[in-house]
Amino acid sequence: MKRLMIVMALAAMLLPAMGQEVEVTSQRRLLDGVEGPAYYPVLNASGNRLLFSNEDGALKLYDFASDVTTTVTRDRVVGHDACFGGDGKVYFVTQRVGDDHLVYRTGRTFDAATGQLATVTEEQHGAMCAVPATRGGAVKAPGRDYTSGSDIGSAAWTEGSRVHVMVGGEERVFSPVDSWAGYLWASLSPDGKRVAFFAAGKGIVVIDLRGQMLAMLGNYEMPCWYNNDYLVAQNAKDDGHQFVSSQILLIKADGTWQTELTKPASMAMQPTCGNGRIVYTTVDGLLYEMKINIYD
Amino acid sequence: MKKYSFKSVMTALLAVMAVNVAIAQQPHVYINPGHGGYDSDDRNMVIYPFGAGDSAGSWESKSNLRKGLALREILQKKGYKTTMSRVTNTTADDLALSTIVALCNQSGADVFYSIHSNATGTSSVANFPMVFYRGYTGSPQIPNADVLAADLEPYLYANQSTVWTNNYQIWGDWSFRPEWGTQGYGVLRGNNAVANLSEGSFHDYIPEAYRLLSLAYCWMEGWNISLGADKYFSRLDSFGQGVITGNVRDDRIKRLQENPQPFIVIGDDNLMPIGAATVRLLDMEGNEVQRCMTDTLRNGIYVFKYVEPGTYNVEVTEPSHFSQTQTVTVAANEPTYQNFYLKRVRDTPPVVVDYSPVWQENDPAVKCSASIMLAFNWDMDSVTTCDAFHLDPPVEGSFRWEDSYYRLIFTPTDAFDVNTLYTLTLDKSAEHGGGTPMEEDFSLQFYTQPRNHLNELAVFPYEGAPVHYKTPTVELRVDSMLDTYNLFQRLRVLDSEGNEVAWNKRSIKYNKNGDDYGYVRIPLVKNIDVGKDYQLILDVDIADTAGIHLPAARVINFTGVDAGADKPGMQVVEDFESADNYSASTGYGIGTGHTYPLTTSTDRLFGSHSMQMVYDFYDRTRILIEPIDEVAATFNLGDTVGVHVWGDMSYNELSVCFSAGEYTYPLPLGTIDFHGWRYMTVPIKNMSNKDYKFVGFRLTRGDESMSPTGTIRFDNLLKKASSGIDEVPLAGLKVKCEGDYIVATADTYIQGLELFDANGRAIKAVGGNCMNVASMAHGIYLVRVHINGRTATRKVKL
Repeated sequence: MKRLMIVMALAAMLLPAMGQEVEVTSQRRLLDGVEGPAYYPVLNASGNRLLFSNEDGALKLYDFASDVTTTVTRDRVVGHDACFGGDGKVYFVTQRVGDDHLVYRTGRTFDAATGQLATVTEEQHGAMCAVPATRGGAVKAPGRDYTSGSDIGSAAWTEGSRVHVMVGGEERVFSPVDSWAGYLWASLSPDGKRVAFFAAGKGIVVIDLRGQMLAMLGNYEMPCWYNNDYLVAQNAKDDGHQFVSSQILLIKADGTWQTELTKPASMAMQPTCGNGRIVYTTVDGLLYEMKINIYD
Repeated sequence: MKKYSFKSVMTALLAVMAVNVAIAQQPHVYINPGHGGYDSDDRNMVIYPFGAGDSAGSWESKSNLRKGLALREILQKKGYKTTMSRVTNTTADDLALSTIVALCNQSGADVFYSIHSNATGTSSVANFPMVFYRGYTGSPQIPNADVLAADLEPYLYANQSTVWTNNYQIWGDWSFRPEWGTQGYGVLRGNNAVANLSEGSFHDYIPEAYRLLSLAYCWMEGWNISLGADKYFSRLDSFGQGVITGNVRDDRIKRLQENPQPFIVIGDDNLMPIGAATVRLLDMEGNEVQRCMTDTLRNGIYVFKYVEPGTYNVEVTEPSHFSQTQTVTVAANEPTYQNFYLKRVRDTPPVVVDYSPVWQENDPAVKCSASIMLAFNWDMDSVTTCDAFHLDPPVEGSFRWEDSYYRLIFTPTDAFDVNTLYTLTLDKSAEHGGGTPMEEDFSLQFYTQPRNHLNELAVFPYEGAPVHYKTPTVELRVDSMLDTYNLFQRLRVLDSEGNEVAWNKRSIKYNKNGDDYGYVRIPLVKNIDVGKDYQLILDVDIADTAGIHLPAARVINFTGVDAGADKPGMQVVEDFESADNYSASTGYGIGTGHTYPLTTSTDRLFGSHSMQMVYDFYDRTRILIEPIDEVAATFNLGDTVGVHVWGDMSYNELSVCFSAGEYTYPLPLGTIDFHGWRYMTVPIKNMSNKDYKFVGFRLTRGDESMSPTGTIRFDNLLKKASSGIDEVPLAGLKVKCEGDYIVATADTYIQGLELFDANGRAIKAVGGNCMNVASMAHGIYLVRVHINGRTATRKVKL
C-alpha cells in the first residue's frame, strides 16, 4: 500500500508533463430568476434531468428539454440523499423530528413520467439512504431495505468506513483505506468497472470491483464520474467555521493529471456530472451548467 | 416441556424485541470536536510556560477534542449511540466542513454537536457560552435546533469552575453573521441532524486558556453537554450518578501574572489557584469514596466523576494551606459545584523585610514625589496594617497593595512638604493574613528635597486668550523635563458643551534631553469655532521625569477668533506677499550687523503668502526687519497701525517702527505669547505730529528663560487714519482729571490715552488709563481713549 501511494505521489508530481488540456466550451447560470438558492444538484446519467434542494430542504426536479421545474416534495430532503435510479425514478429519503425529538426517516420514490410519489420504506428512526443502481434503485434502512426489483444491477454506496459494491446481485464490502471518520460519496464509473469514493482524512479513492485500490486522487470531496477516465470533484477550504474558497476540479481517474475548472475564489461546489454535462452550485446557491472539451 | 420451551422461546423473543425497540429508540448523537491538528487555524493561545506552536500548550483543537471524547464516554455510559468526526488531533483530522456535514447525515444522527471555544480576537475580555443553530434567531432551519440550544445553554452557564463576564447567548447563525447572508457556519449548512455549534467559553480570556488545558475541566463541559442532550430527549431521569467539581484557590493571595504581557483577570480568577492539592471524597462515615489531585496547570480544578447520589464530605489538603472540608449533596445526573478558598499556613509573625525610601542623616534628600514602600515576609491584613501606619508630620495619601498583600505602597495625595524630616511608624498592631500581629514597631525616617511641584513657565492659550480658529496649537512649558508617557491624555480641550476636541497626535512635540525647559506642544486635529468659548484642562498629574507634578489642576478659558476677520476702516499698507523688499539684521541700516534670511510662507491669512523670518538670539538681543525701499504710505499721530503676526510663543517683544527723518520710533505691539495668527495693533502716539514712514519691525529678546530661536510671520499691515476727534459711543467711559492725573475708566480694558491741545496738536500719549499731567499748562484739552482698537475722545479741563 505504502509503495502504491509513493508511486501515486510521484505520478502526481509528473502531472504537468502529461500533456492533457481542457477547454471550457460553455458555462451558464441555470434557473436564473426562476429559482432561489439551490443546493446539492444531482444529474441523471443521461444528463437531461437535474435534482436540487432549496434552503429548507424541499426537493425539485428540472428537465432540461422542457425547461420545466417540478417540486418532488416539500418535505426536508438533503440533496445527496436523492438520486436517479437506472429505471428513471427518483429515490430519496425525507425526515421528520418526532415529538420524542428523535429523527424519523422515510424512503420514497418519485416517478417523473407519471408524477407519482410513493413511500417505499416506512418511517423509522435511524440512518437511511437512497442508492442508485444501474437498473433501479434501493433505500438502505435500519430495518428492511427496499429494492426496486429483484435485480437492480450494479450499485455502490458507503456506510461508516466501508464501501459496498453490488455486482450481479452480489454485495461486496471493502475497506481499502483507513479512515476513522468514514467513507462518503461512492459512485460507479459509467462503464461499471470502477468505484470512486471519498475517505475522510485521505481523499478520493478509486478501486476496482474486487476492492483493489487503483488510485488516490487527492484530498478533494464529492467526486463524480465525468466519463470513464475523468472525475469532477470539489476542492473547498475553510477556516473551521466557514468556507474561504471552493472550486471545481477535473481529475484523471488514474491520478496522473488534474486541472481546475473554476478558480478557488469562484466558491463553486457540489459538482454533479451526467453525459458530458457538469452542473455545480455556489456557496450562495447559484446553479451553473458547464461543458468542457478534453484534449488528450 | 414443550409448553415450557414455547414460553421460554417467546420470552426470549420478547426480550430481543425489547432490546431492538430500545436500540431503535436510542438517541444518536454526532460529536464534532471543532478544528483539528496544531496548525495556524487551530487557535493556539500562547500562555506561559508554553511557546507559540507548542503542542503541549493551549489549542482550541485540543480542548475541543477532549470535550468531545468526554461527551462520547458519558453519552455511551448513558445509553446513547454516538459517532465522532475525530478522535485524535492531527492535521488529517481537520476535515472539511462539507465532509463533516455529509458524515453526520450519513450516520443518521438525531442531533449534532460541533464543539468549540470562542475568542474576541481583540484586547477586550469576555467569557460566556454561546450556542448557534442554522437560520435566523427564533426561526431555525431544522425544527427544534433552537430547543436543543436552549436545553444546552443553562448547563454550560451553570459551570462554577469558571468566571463568566456575561450571560449566555443563543443565536441563529444568519442573525449572528448577517454579513454572511444565509451561508452561516459551514458545519450547520445542509446538516440534516438537529444541529448546534457551541462556543463553550472564550479561550482568549487567559485564565480560561489555562482551564482549557485541564482534562477535568474539559470533561465537565462534556458532562454539561450530555445534560443538554438528556434534557432534549427527556432522559434526565435515566442516569443515576452525579458529579462533584470545583476549583481550589487561596482565599486572598493574588494570581501570578506570569505571561510576558499582563492579562486581565475577573472575579475569583484574581485568586491564586492551588495546584497538586489532594481532594478526597468521603462518605458520612469517613470512608474514602474517591480521591484526586487538583491540576497543576494554574487552575486548581478537581472532579469526582460518576458519584452515587447522597451526602458527602469533600476534604482538601495541601501542605502550605490549612485543610478544609465541605459537605455536599450529590443528586443523580446533576453537577454539584463546590469551590474551595484555602487559608494559607503562616507560622511566624509578620515583619518588614524591605522598605523605601532608605535614608539616613547626611544622605541626599528624598524626592517630594516619592512613595513609601514596605515589604513584608507574609501577605498582610489590609485593615490592621493601614491602621498601624503613622506619618509624622501627617500627610494625606492613599495605600496600594502589590504582590498579593506582600507589599504596601503609600503615595501622598499631593507631595511631601519640602525640606521636612518625616518619620514613619508602623506599630506592631499590623497583622498578617492569618491574624498574627507584628512583635515590634517598625519605623523609618527621611528628609525631603527643596522642590515639590512642577512649575508652569508658560501656557498657551492663557486665560482669556483670543485663539485663531485654524487648528490651534496648545503648548505647556514647565521648569523641568516632562514625563511624556501618555502625556497628551493629561491635557484636554473641551468645547462649550463639554465635548473633548481631539489632538493631532501625529504632530505632537515633546521636550528632549538638553532642552532649556520641559514642554509639550500639540495642535488640535480640527478648527475651533469663531466666537465660541473653550477650556484647556491641565491635569494635576502632569509630572516631570522625577514624578514631580503640578500643584493643582488648571482650567484655562479661551475664545476662538478669526485673526483675519475684516477690520472696517483699515487700509492695507503692506501685504507681505514678497520678502524681496525687506531685510532683517541686528544693526540699524539695511544689512548691518548679523543678518537673517527673510522668506515667504504659504501659511498666511491673506493673498498667497506671508513673510517669514527664522531667527535666533544667540549673543544678540534685537532684530530689525526693515523695508529696503520705503513704503509709500505715511502715518500721523492718532492713526492706528495693525499687523497680522504668526507667533511662536517666544515671549519676545514686537514693536512697529516709524520714522520722520533722523529718529526711529518703535511702538510696542506686544509680546509674542501666542501660537498661530493674531492681529496686533497700536495707536501712534508719543511722537511729534509729523508725517511718519513705516520703517519696519523690531523684535526684542523677551523672557530669557524661553528659547532663543524661533519663527515669526507677518501678513497685511493695516492703517486707520485718524479723523482728529472721532467719537465712538462707549458705554461706561468716563474721563476725569484728578489731581496730577487724567484717569479714564470704562467697562473694558483701556489700552492707552492720547492728549491733544485745543488746536488738535498731540501733546502726550501713554499706555494704560492714567496720564500724568502735572507739568501741563491749565486749560482745555482733548483726550483720546483707545479701547480694543476703537477710540473715543473726551474733553477735559486741567
